[in-house]
Parts: sequence; structure tokens; C-alpha cells
Amino acid sequence: MAACYGAGALSSLLAWWSGRLALGVGHLAALAGAVVGLGVSLGVLLGDPGRTLTQPLPVVFPFARLSLSVDGLSAYFLLVISLVAVAASIYGPAYLRAHSPDAGPARQAAQVVALNVFLGCMAFVCCAGDALSFLLCWEGMTLASYVLVVSDDRDGENARAGLLYMVMAHGGTALLLVAFLALTERAGAFDFTALRVAAGGLDSATRTTLFFLALGGFATKAGVVPLHVWLPRAHPAAPSHVSALMSGVMLKVAIYGILRFAFDLLAPAVEPLPSSWGWTVLVVGTTSAVLGVLYALQQHDLKRLLAFHSVENIGIILIGVGLAMILWRREIAGGALATVALTAALLHTVNHAAFKGLLFLAAGSVLCRTHVRNMEELGGLARRMPWTAGLFLLGAIAISALPPLNGFVSEWLTFQALLGGASHFRGPAGLSIVFSAAMLALTGGLAAACFAKAFGVTFLGRPRTPHAEHATEAPPSMIAGMVWLGAVCVALGVAPGYAMRLLDAPTAELLHGPGASAVVTARGPLVLSAALTPSGTNATAISMTVVAALLIALTAMAWVLRRGLRRAPQRGAPTWTCGMSPTARFDYTATAFAKPLRLIFATLYHLRREVIRETAGTPYVVRRIHYTGEVMDLAETQIYHRVERGISGLSQAIRARSTGRIHGYIAFVLGALFVALLLFGVGPR
Amino acid sequence: MTGERPLTLVLLEMTLLVLLGPLVTGTIQKLKALLQCRQGAGLLQPYHDIIKLLRKGTVQADTTSGFFRSIPVLVLAATVAAGALVPVVRSGPPAFPLGDALMLLGLLALARFLTAVGAFDAGGAFGGMGASREMTIAPLVEPVLMMVVFSTAVAAGTTELGALAAHRGASWILAWRAADFLGFAAMLVLLPAETGRIPVDNPDTHLELTMLHEGMLLEHSGPGLGCMMLASHTRQIVAFGLVSALFFPVGLADGAGVTGLLLGAGAFVAKILVLATWLALVESSYAKLRFFRVPQYLGIGFVCALMALALRIL
Repeated sequence: MAACYGAGALSSLLAWWSGRLALGVGHLAALAGAVVGLGVSLGVLLGDPGRTLTQPLPVVFPFARLSLSVDGLSAYFLLVISLVAVAASIYGPAYLRAHSPDAGPARQAAQVVALNVFLGCMAFVCCAGDALSFLLCWEGMTLASYVLVVSDDRDGENARAGLLYMVMAHGGTALLLVAFLALTERAGAFDFTALRVAAGGLDSATRTTLFFLALGGFATKAGVVPLHVWLPRAHPAAPSHVSALMSGVMLKVAIYGILRFAFDLLAPAVEPLPSSWGWTVLVVGTTSAVLGVLYALQQHDLKRLLAFHSVENIGIILIGVGLAMILWRREIAGGALATVALTAALLHTVNHAAFKGLLFLAAGSVLCRTHVRNMEELGGLARRMPWTAGLFLLGAIAISALPPLNGFVSEWLTFQALLGGASHFRGPAGLSIVFSAAMLALTGGLAAACFAKAFGVTFLGRPRTPHAEHATEAPPSMIAGMVWLGAVCVALGVAPGYAMRLLDAPTAELLHGPGASAVVTARGPLVLSAALTPSGTNATAISMTVVAALLIALTAMAWVLRRGLRRAPQRGAPTWTCGMSPTARFDYTATAFAKPLRLIFATLYHLRREVIRETAGTPYVVRRIHYTGEVMDLAETQIYHRVERGISGLSQAIRARSTGRIHGYIAFVLGALFVALLLFGVGPR
Repeated sequence: MTGERPLTLVLLEMTLLVLLGPLVTGTIQKLKALLQCRQGAGLLQPYHDIIKLLRKGTVQADTTSGFFRSIPVLVLAATVAAGALVPVVRSGPPAFPLGDALMLLGLLALARFLTAVGAFDAGGAFGGMGASREMTIAPLVEPVLMMVVFSTAVAAGTTELGALAAHRGASWILAWRAADFLGFAAMLVLLPAETGRIPVDNPDTHLELTMLHEGMLLEHSGPGLGCMMLASHTRQIVAFGLVSALFFPVGLADGAGVTGLLLGAGAFVAKILVLATWLALVESSYAKLRFFRVPQYLGIGFVCALMALALRIL
């Protein structure tokens, strides 16, 4: 696999000879890498249970042995990465050629190198067997994605987005570094086995501190509210197939990190996890889910809307993860409930990768054919790009958690786990878990509203601008990439029972309990079931397959009805617009669509609205109205702007002390050294 | 636990719901007319309407895409599929698992989503307006409905409606606790919203200031409109079925005997009549709320549902 990605990176050297060739070969290498990744992960997941693939790496540093180790959890995330990487590398070359035909070979070479490095690093973060290679690949992933973010268009906004991304990502990495170094210092080695042993001797306060450090670091990468501000800026700026990878996969690597730390590295030997961990993750997840979808609802930039939905879906995954942390080892329903919660989270991980990847790729096809991201300037694309429109609708139904597609399956499992947790805990804890379930329901409803808007305004009605009017269907290779992910969505929705086998290894390894398929598909692969009560007599069971078959049969019957009782004439006519001749300005806009919800949730939005009227003499004759509306992110105004003001205030205060005389500075340095020696200078006795 | 419902029975019940759906609408219209001292149209008027529409030709807006034609079909299919998940004459889970209350709400949400998407296609402002309002109300109704379902599901340990009904079945009203009363109150508040009636929506008018659901149907015509109408009748009776399965599983037969099934059917008709009378009373005695007052109205339901849950869990 390394060879493939390496070859991909090297192939960019061809760019000096021919840019097109470099694109093709580079993406082909990425595809090969992804296929190898798929093979490795499926081999581990379907092979003997408990088998771990370990591969020592050549010695690079004298002080540490580097190694790769692929256990069930690693293999599962490798599978998620490879699934989307396959689609992205099929989609990529045509997209880059169509979107920026005038790009020089140097830029194309840079993009291909960065893409391969990015994919390789993501894969190796999940397979790392020691702290050092984990951190190195983590950093490589960040840097490569930074290059991709700033590579697309040369304008100031992309550069700013990239800078914000770099700052936030490195803040997160710093927290991770502290957590890892604290562990490696105790262990005296870098490999995870030694870290596990070292973590066994920690007292609970240190353990919790280390967990929260790691959580902070991973949450920054995952884009959890309020650490998400970089995400809606950076993700849309990258080329679309890279956006699909960043949103669909890179965030999942952070989820991998959280799971690895909580259930593996830092987990106590026998007792349950401290309850503060799980509750924090649950609360943070619920907040992210609700706020993510609320902000997504008010976006008119198609890719930005999708980026905000990533915040929402990471929140849904974290609800499952948090619940699994709370329930684990508390002897609830024979340990099965924790398995249901973790299964829900892991299943949503792959589901989100599939549908978010699909949606970003479809948005990319729109972008490369119209060069417009603002959906108020689109419209009517369904007649011009039927494949893209159909696949976007598929992704929209999946992400809105509507049956019979895959989003519903993982949310159903999350609901069952939440309900089971609530009926076990009772009391305030139970009530807050149910409240979280209600918030999840709200999230689902709002997501449906948001995607009705996104699909309706972008693809239906009349084209609002010439860009949209002259759009044509995307090239076949781009459609092929989308169809791959669409097929994954349908397969995971209609027959999720068969995918449960893949979840066996990670769930059994992390929870040391029954695997996913033993709990969820106890009644055969066609039926999903979850027991809410400890006795498990009244298990709730659904069958996605049968419901899908029922839907298909009913659709066929309804189609007969739709054809009418007799052959009656059909004709077309202009839309009724109260007697005026219809134009594109009659189409409902995205802003108007979202207005009721904007007013209902006004406190969360910090609305800014400005209307300027130009009148001709009397106020009754209006020549022109200029309207600007803006929605501010609550986290930005309440936290980041305050921090920014604090920092600039502090630097103003320091500036008053900086006199420019070298004596004063030396005195400061000496003073600081003295204080530091007093505080930390006491060595081991 | 009682016996399981064979799959043929499930399909029969689904067919029954679809066939009875328009009659319920007709009954509500008739009751409303009587309450308002009018004669009103006959009970069977909705059937006549649908048959008339199915015989008509189609006029379709010329800006629409290929999706538009298939929207009524998909909406009808999703709604009817939701009908298969409601126990009508017998309690107990289906012999082969189909779906639970969450699946039912999901299928209804799918139908609503597709209707809203279809409303955009003709490119008129009315469709978009209706879709916008419908998709504003829906996310507010859905969590509360789920909370009501949860409040009964926590007690029964399952979200499968047939099993839920079987769990409550034997000891019906004597076993009602405060949580049930509150949950039922929440359901009564939500019912007009879910069935698209006053004070949330007005099914009788096409005036753009009042309509939610009707606005989305404006551009459909002929058989397509017939399918959409049938879907909304079915949606109404499915919502009634959900309420009666959650709160009045009385009369649902335990065994397979013919008398039991007939008794169950009779009880179901009685329950539907009670709920239909409730809707007719509410529609006749209240005005439609201003759109931005609706969230406050739904807030009553939310508080009731939250209290029901709290009583159940604390």
C-alpha cells in the first residue's frame, strides 16, 4: 500500500513531462492503494477473530522502534478510508481537468502529491502501532490537507481558510502531543503495548486529565462544536473529491483516536470508565448535532452547507460513542447495550463516509459544470444533469435518516441504545439520555428540511442564471465515482445485517464482550434487533430488507394507479403565477425557504439584517431594494471573538511595557528564568 | 406475550387502512358540517373525488423535471408502507419483523420530504412557500411525537407497535397512570399538526396565507393529485392508528378467531370515530393560528410529553 501511495507521489515527477499524465497516474496509484487497503482491512475483519497484523518498520530514529499494527478497530477505519478513497480517485482526474483546465503542471503535480500523501497518512494513522508514527502520520495528514485546501483557487479566502485550519489543527496536535508524551515518558517506549502497560498504573485523576487532553486534540480535528469554526471554511475550499475525503474520512480518523484512547490505551483494567468521560462526549455530541444542522440550514453555499452537516453527523457518532462509554462494564443488559451503542456509532461512521462523500462529489459535479457554489444562482439542474441530481437525491435521503437508506439504520440503532440506557438508568441521568434522543429526532427533522431546500433550490425549478442554464452532465468517470458510493449507501440501507459481520472484530476487541452481529443480528442477517430491558424478552426488531421490498411492491402498485383509470390526455402548460408570465424569479429561494426556522431559532443565530431602499421622491415608489442578511455562528461571536479581543488587549498591555531598551528585556528574561527554576527546577532526589 | 400476527393479516390490515382512509376524511367533513349547521357533502365524497381525479387527464408545468411524475407514486407508497406497521385488529408483533414506531415516523417523514421536494419542481412561489412551512413545522412535531412514543416504550421495553399494544392490552384504562394521561394530552395536541388540520393547517382552502400541505399539491393534477390525496387520507388514518395502538389497545384480539378479529375491527372503528370527532370539534371551534404562533402551540405538546417522560423515568 505504501508502495502505491509512494508511487503516486513520485508519479508527479512526470508532471514536468505532461500534467495530464501525472494526474492520471497519480490517481491510479491512489486507487491501487485504496484497493490494497480494502483487501487488508477485509482480510483482518473477516479473518480469525482477535488476529492482529503487525509489521515492524525500518529503523529511522535511533530512539524508537516504529511498527504498524492492524487490529479490528484499525482495519475497520482503514475500510472506511479505502471505500471513499476508491470513489475519490476514480472521480479526481476528470474533476481537476474540468474544474481548472488552465492549471499549470506544477499545481497539478502538487495536488497529486498532496492527495497521495494525505491518503497514505490517513491510512497509516489508523494502522500505527506506536505513538511516534501515529503523530508523524497525523501531522502529515494535516499538512497534506492544508496544501490541498489552498491549492484550488488562488484567492484570499482560501488562504485565510487554510491559515485558520493550520492554527486550529496544530492547537489540537499540541494537546495530543502532551497526552502522548506524558504516556511515553512513563512507559519509556513508544509502542502502544508499552503505553497500555504504563497507563495501567495511572491514578484516576491523571487518567482523566490525559483523556480530556486527547479528547480536546481529537475534537478539534473532528470539528466538534465549539471547535468547529475551521471546518466550514476549510472543507469547501479544497477540490471537491478532497472535500469528500476531508469530510467523509479525515474527521473519522479523529473518532478512531477517541475510541483508541478511551477504550484501549487509557481504559482501566476492570472497572468501568469514569462517568465524566462518557457524559462529556454525549453532551458535546448532542450539542454538535443540533447546532451543526441549525447552522447548515442557513447556508446557501452548497459545499459549506455540506461541511456544516459534517459537524452534525460527527455529533451523532459521538452520541453513540459517549453512550457506549457510559454503559460499558456497568453490567447493563448483559453488556449488550454498550455493544449496540458502539455498533451504532461505528455504523454511522461508515454511513456518513458514504453519503457525505457522495454528496460532496455531486456538489463537485455541479461546481465544475457551473462554477457556482451559491445555490441561489443555480436551479433547474435536474433536467440538465439527471445522473448527478438523482445521486444527490439519494444522498439527501440517506443523510436525512429516512428509510430505506443507510442513515436511518444507524440512527435507529442509536435511538434504541439511548432508549435502553434511559430505561436502565432512570432518574435524572435517564431523563437526560432521553432528552438527547429527542434532540436527535429534532436533528433528523431539521436535516430533512435542509436537504429539501438544498436539493429543491439547486436542482429543481427554473435555472436562475446562465451558468445553471448552460450546464451539462458530468463526465462518466465522475459519475462512476458517485455511483460507487451510492451503491454503498443502498447496500448498507437495504441489507445492513450483512455488514454487521465487519463490525464484530472492532466491537468485540474494544468492549471485550459479544460482537455486533451476536447482539444486533441475533435473528438472522435480515433482521436487526435490540433489547431494551435486561431480560431481553421484548426485543424490538425491524427488517430493512422487507420494508424495502414492501416499498418497491407498493411503488409498482401506485404506479399503476398513477397511470389513471383510462387513457386520458396529458399536456404541459406554464406554471400558474397569478396571471403573470413565469420567470425564474418566482422560484422560492433558499433564503426564503429557511426564513421560518431562522425566525424560530433566532436566538441561536445572531441575525444581522440590513435593507436599503432607493425611492423615487415618494416613499411609495421604490426603485430598488438592497437586502443583506447574515447569520453569525454563536461559537464565533461568543467564544472566538472574545478570545481575540482578550489576546489583542493583552498584547496592547505588553506593548506598553516594551520600551525598546535591551536592558529591560534582559531583566525580563532573567526574571522569567529565575521563576521557572524556582517552580520546576527541583530535580529527582 | 400474545401470538404473532401472520404476514397475510398485516397486509390485510394495511389494505383496510388504505380503503378506510377517505371514509375517515368524509366523516370528519360531515361532522364539521353538522356542527356548523350545514348539510355537508356525503360520507363517500372523498372516494368520488379520488375516482374522478384518477379518470382525468394531466396538466403538468413545463418546467418540471423527470422527478415530478414519480413523486405522487413514491409518496403514496411510503405512506401506505407506514400503514403496514400499525396493528389494526390484532395485537402482537408481526410474524416476520417489519418495522417499529420509529420506522413508521421515518416513512411518514420520507413521504413528507418527497412531497416538499416535488413542490419545488414546478417553480412557482406557492409550492416553495408550502414546502418551507411544512418543513418548518415537521422538525418541531417529530421530536415531540418521538417523546410520546418513548414514554410508552420505556414502560413496555419495545418500540414495536404490535408488541407495545400487546403489553398494554389486557389491563387497559385501569392501568392508566399520570404519564399516560399526559402523553395522551400531548398526542391530542399533535394530532391536528400531524394530520394537517386547524389550528396548524387548513385542509379546506387554497389561500396562500393559510395553507401548508395544500400549497405543495397545487401543481399536481389528474391521477397524480389523486395519489397525493389518497396518501394524505392514509396518513391521517395511520396517525389515528398510531394513537390507538399507543393508548387504546383495547379490543385488539389476542387469538386468531374470527369473532375476535371482528371485535377488533369494531373496536378500531369506534376508536377512529372518537378521534375523528375530536378533530371535527377542534376544527369547528378554533381559528387557524398565525404561522409563528404554531411553535408555541406545539410547545404545549412538548411540555406534556416531557412531563410524561419524566414521570415515567424518574
